Amino acid sequence: MTLPTFILKNALRNKRRAFLSVSSVAVSLFLLVTLQVALRELTLPAASPGAELRLCARNKVSLTNPLPARQRAVIEKIPGVEGVSPFTWFGGEYQNDGAMTFAQFAIDPKETRRVFTDLNLTDTELAGFESEKTAAIIGKISADKHHFHVGDHLTLNSTVYPGALEFKIAGIFSGTADDRMMFFRQDYLDDSIGTPGLVGMWWLKVKSAGNMAPVIQAINAAFQNTSAEVRAESERNFQLDFISMLGNVKTLIASISTVVVFTLVLVTASTMSMAVRERFRELAILKALGFRRRELFAFILAESFGLAAAGAVLGIGGAYALYTFGDVGKMTSGIFVSFQVTPRIMGWAALVAALLGIASAVAPALSVARMSVVNGLKTLD
Amino acid sequence: MSDINLTVSPGAEPMVKIRALTKLYSQGDIQVTALDRITLDIAAGEFLSLMGPSGSGKSTLLHIIAGVDRPTRGECLVQGVDVTKLDESQLADWRNHNVGFIFQSFNLIPVLTAAENVELPLLLTRLNRAQRRRQVETALEVVGLADRARHLPRQMSGGQEQRVAIARALVTDPALIVADEPTGNLDSHSAQEVLGALQALRRDAGKTIIMVTHDPKAAAFGTRQIHLEKGELSA
Repeated sequence: MTLPTFILKNALRNKRRAFLSVSSVAVSLFLLVTLQVALRELTLPAASPGAELRLCARNKVSLTNPLPARQRAVIEKIPGVEGVSPFTWFGGEYQNDGAMTFAQFAIDPKETRRVFTDLNLTDTELAGFESEKTAAIIGKISADKHHFHVGDHLTLNSTVYPGALEFKIAGIFSGTADDRMMFFRQDYLDDSIGTPGLVGMWWLKVKSAGNMAPVIQAINAAFQNTSAEVRAESERNFQLDFISMLGNVKTLIASISTVVVFTLVLVTASTMSMAVRERFRELAILKALGFRRRELFAFILAESFGLAAAGAVLGIGGAYALYTFGDVGKMTSGIFVSFQVTPRIMGWAALVAALLGIASAVAPALSVARMSVVNGLKTLD
Repeated sequence: MSDINLTVSPGAEPMVKIRALTKLYSQGDIQVTALDRITLDIAAGEFLSLMGPSGSGKSTLLHIIAGVDRPTRGECLVQGVDVTKLDESQLADWRNHNVGFIFQSFNLIPVLTAAENVELPLLLTRLNRAQRRRQVETALEVVGLADRARHLPRQMSGGQEQRVAIARALVTDPALIVADEPTGNLDSHSAQEVLGALQALRRDAGKTIIMVTHDPKAAAFGTRQIHLEKGELSA
């Protein structure tokens, strides 16, 4: 027999309790990893290729207030601007399924290549999008989910505008940070609602990174003191602003994570205390046989650490396997496109598990250290 | 006060030398005298039976000799080492090398086999696995349980469990073996076996054995009997 064998036999003497302890640690760490990944995905959306040269301009009052279409001519003349497209939220529901399963925006198809550089679309598909007014292009995730193919027709009931619009799918794109979206033509939307001369916002691309700040300033200045003042910002800033509208998600998730960790500490500490208390007498025997305090502390620590480590392997490993090899889009009904368990998150969860192992060993180890052999021997079995 | 001094003759160095050993316990404001200035010598190779009624202090005396309890005053030298002066860590090391313990309720680890229980004290030594195995086999052979090496404590009778405990006590080859009511939980047949084993250890291996017992029949297996009464030695 070796010391590790001895520790293992002790840890597994009550198999049901060991199983339940490891399971509770595993489930809690799985939840912790899930929460942290969700937090990361929500607060740090994946950057689109080309995003560093893109910016958006929206109504300064609110995102829901439209902008006059006539602003486009002014923006296009600002030095450094390479392309400008309207970007209008349609809010369509597919097949009355009651939930917005993919977002739809009206854009200018002629600006597709210039502004939305990350869209992987064949020339034929783009030509189809440009040539037919009812044409739409849709992201691969949504196309796969709803089994759309090029040439299919779909009808969306708008929750923003009156009535429904029928679209013909001209292309299926990929390569963006969110391949769930659908783009259709602004002129089709304008026609259907009587050409009010309004757009949701402007999405534009500048020629170089050096143009970003001057263009933002120029756009903001150009519409100052008009009936539709504009707030221009980089695409990245816009995404972060948009996330902040969800409320203080970060605090909420951090609070839940803290509760999870705290509960985890209580469960593991309680298990270890029980495990040690029921063999107080045996530990006193070990002391009598010559085992020192530090050796007994090492036994308890190793056992506690072992339970936490086993739970960590199952919980963190399980989360990694599920979110890496599983279909996250399907699992979350399309809420999350990617759900990346990063090494940093895994490391953080492993650190929590390690601290948990140490923290839950401290109290039982201290009581064993304080215990005299004589008093320990008096303990009932 | 203890008026009786049970010391060896001048010139012969005893295995255990106790001088004016006192142990006081505090129970709230009341102080209880468990041992009152005990002076006692135990020669090497002796099988001493410590007798006395409950609360007489015999187990306390045994615990102090074995280095698991500390006296309030006095000296307790075992093989020339004053165990009352050793710190916790030194005491643990000293116990591992010099004392073998046998308890009333066997106190084997239930998840370990007989051989593994016997091997426990050897885990603290520098012996390699093969050397440990050899010593464990020898110890189990001495107590006649070589064929039970892979049995768990629950698969053995009380007498067999206690013999495993004896094997555990002697596996490090200590000079001193202390036994606290080793036959208290055994039937008479098993008790005879255990006492016979202890007697053989003294006779064949020259071990010094100190045994606490209530039972005069068990005490008769010793080479000397002493009585404690209210913390004092009595004739």
